[in-house]
Amino acid sequence: MEIDVCIVGAGAAGGVMAWELARRGVRVVVIESGPRHDFGQRGEYARRYLKHENPWRTPLSGVDRHTVGGTSLYGLEWRRVRGVGGSTLHWEGYAIRLHADDFRLRSLYGIADDWPISYQDLEPYYARAEKALGVAGADDDPWASPRSTPFPLPAFPFSYSDRLFAPTCRSLGIALHSLPQARNSVAYGGRPACQACGVCHACPTGAKASVDLTQIPEAEASGNARVLTEATVLRLEVDGSGQVSAAVYARPDKVERRLTARVFVLAAGAIETARLLLLSRSREFPDGLANRSGLAGKFFMSHPSAEVTGRSRENVHPYRIGFSTGMSRQFAVERGRTTRGAFFLEFMNSAGPTPERVAVASGQWGKALRKHVREEFGHRLGIRIYCEQLPARSNTVTLNTRVRDYFGSPVPHLNYNVGSYEQKALGDAKAVAEKILAAMGLTDIRSSGLMFAAHQIGTHRMGADPKTSVVDATLRAHDVTNLFLVGSGCFVTASASPPTLTIGALALRAAEHIAARLRHAGRVAPSAPPADGPIVPRQHENRTVARR
Amino acid sequence: MGRLSRPAAEVVSRPEKLSSAELEDLVAFAEVLVEGRTLTPAERGYLLEHIEDRTTRTPAYLSLYRAAVSTLDRLGGRRVASLEVQERIELVVRHRLAASEVRPEEDLGSFPEQTRSLRTKVVPDLIGGYYGSPAGWGAVGYETFPGRCGDLTRYVRPESS
Repeated sequence: MEIDVCIVGAGAAGGVMAWELARRGVRVVVIESGPRHDFGQRGEYARRYLKHENPWRTPLSGVDRHTVGGTSLYGLEWRRVRGVGGSTLHWEGYAIRLHADDFRLRSLYGIADDWPISYQDLEPYYARAEKALGVAGADDDPWASPRSTPFPLPAFPFSYSDRLFAPTCRSLGIALHSLPQARNSVAYGGRPACQACGVCHACPTGAKASVDLTQIPEAEASGNARVLTEATVLRLEVDGSGQVSAAVYARPDKVERRLTARVFVLAAGAIETARLLLLSRSREFPDGLANRSGLAGKFFMSHPSAEVTGRSRENVHPYRIGFSTGMSRQFAVERGRTTRGAFFLEFMNSAGPTPERVAVASGQWGKALRKHVREEFGHRLGIRIYCEQLPARSNTVTLNTRVRDYFGSPVPHLNYNVGSYEQKALGDAKAVAEKILAAMGLTDIRSSGLMFAAHQIGTHRMGADPKTSVVDATLRAHDVTNLFLVGSGCFVTASASPPTLTIGALALRAAEHIAARLRHAGRVAPSAPPADGPIVPRQHENRTVARR
Repeated sequence: MGRLSRPAAEVVSRPEKLSSAELEDLVAFAEVLVEGRTLTPAERGYLLEHIEDRTTRTPAYLSLYRAAVSTLDRLGGRRVASLEVQERIELVVRHRLAASEVRPEEDLGSFPEQTRSLRTKVVPDLIGGYYGSPAGWGAVGYETFPGRCGDLTRYVRPESS
């Protein structure tokens, strides 16, 4: 078939975009580097995860190779997934909108840069993304920005441990509210309600949204979308007019193939999208495709993180679900943001070691070991912290030409540092968490060292000025009129929120723009998109994990 | 739990699975290690599943386990599986086999390298494998646990109610 749009990457951005374009009558091919993971294997994947193996590890040796530098080494193992579904296969499912202030840091606080769009611009797309993914939540967040629609699904009830936190938080003037998540609190979209399997990293029931279940099957069923798997795009080629003419890709056989289309979308995650731009050098773009600004690969961000835990005299009954249900956004808005990052608090339902960890660390054996495990397990409560990171030009994704991947391409090199803005936020956040735990009467309060979320953000930032950004407000590359770069790489700032819902909302907005352009050019028959509604998956109905 | 990053060299002539005798010896050692008693068939099954999983997925464990069995048999003077529970406990005590940390000045006896490997690698692996299984969750009173789906309303109340 003649292809209108070639999308590179079948994760959160690419999957949502393929779905939205296909249902608007646009003919799409998605090129995905990883495999299509069989849903029927999820039970085995969960088992592997519990054995501390990464079930989503790519089968192709060397394709994920990368190098790291800087003062904070940010490795990518366990922090991204190749395959249909991308990182939504392993994400925690937390689906939180950015706050309206997050789009205006320069205007409000004189730091970083404003986004070229506002929360109000994105709000309708947030609503649609929540519906498409099936987000469970409640209107109990005092700091949430205005919503046009209620959450599609009711929030998960607060956990037993949330209820232990709540009175102390209230007495300290800290609001504990529900944590929105793309996980079925009730059956939705042909997927079952969560069954508390406790292994959300490889959700065996499909209750957690992942685009291999929620968007890709629907896109393919429309007849307008096709997914090529285990096909790694090596570079994009441009024609004499400076437009992208083809994606050059290879399968494990390493034979190069070309795919042509009218429009190209890079949705390969913040690392690989930047890398592909840099790999796609040409006479027209000697410093990399769409990189006349020199900013492709610059301003890499994540969410510096930490955990603070304390010991409770009573058992707090952890590990009965795999996710948290309570959070506070209170410190992610306003206070002190000129000098320290926003942060939010996740009240963990499962802090402290599992029976396995208790046993191994105990130094006990025999009857004493069992007694020790029984007595020690379940006595730690914890708060996880996610901090905003400011964009810094020195945090980069570049090409390491001395190290090659499976296909012989230079691997990405991540140079990453955490600055004083983030360190101050972490310090303040730890102090707040310690205060809460101490006020609850917990003892042995401990803070972890610096950790990082599996969020890669900001390597092809959006903006109005081609000199200071890579893509415009519609996510079209400033320098290449038929190239769009979607995903969290386009974020101008990171906020403290997990990026996936915003990735989805931005992908919907960009898809709408692409479809309108193609219609205007007479490439696609005018057609109104079908009404929004939950997606009914076709590949996994009525399947649940086999009980052991 | 200690993870092995890459397989060690295998003994070429040996089969790729533990023999039933080797398995019996390893489990006989493990059961006094993890519970100090004879395990039920279900509990033994969790250990066997763990051992099989390890040897299948991470070949280095095959040689580790084999060396452990050989060391145990030599330390005990006969096959570990032929010893009574109390005899096995005494063997563990006599040779400090359950102590996974080895002090720098510690005398590790006649088979120092094998004993070190047994204590620092095999012991934590077997303990972790067992307490990471349903047996471990059972020890803390959980009938459903990560990997076994259950009742979504359970997490909002204390476990006992």
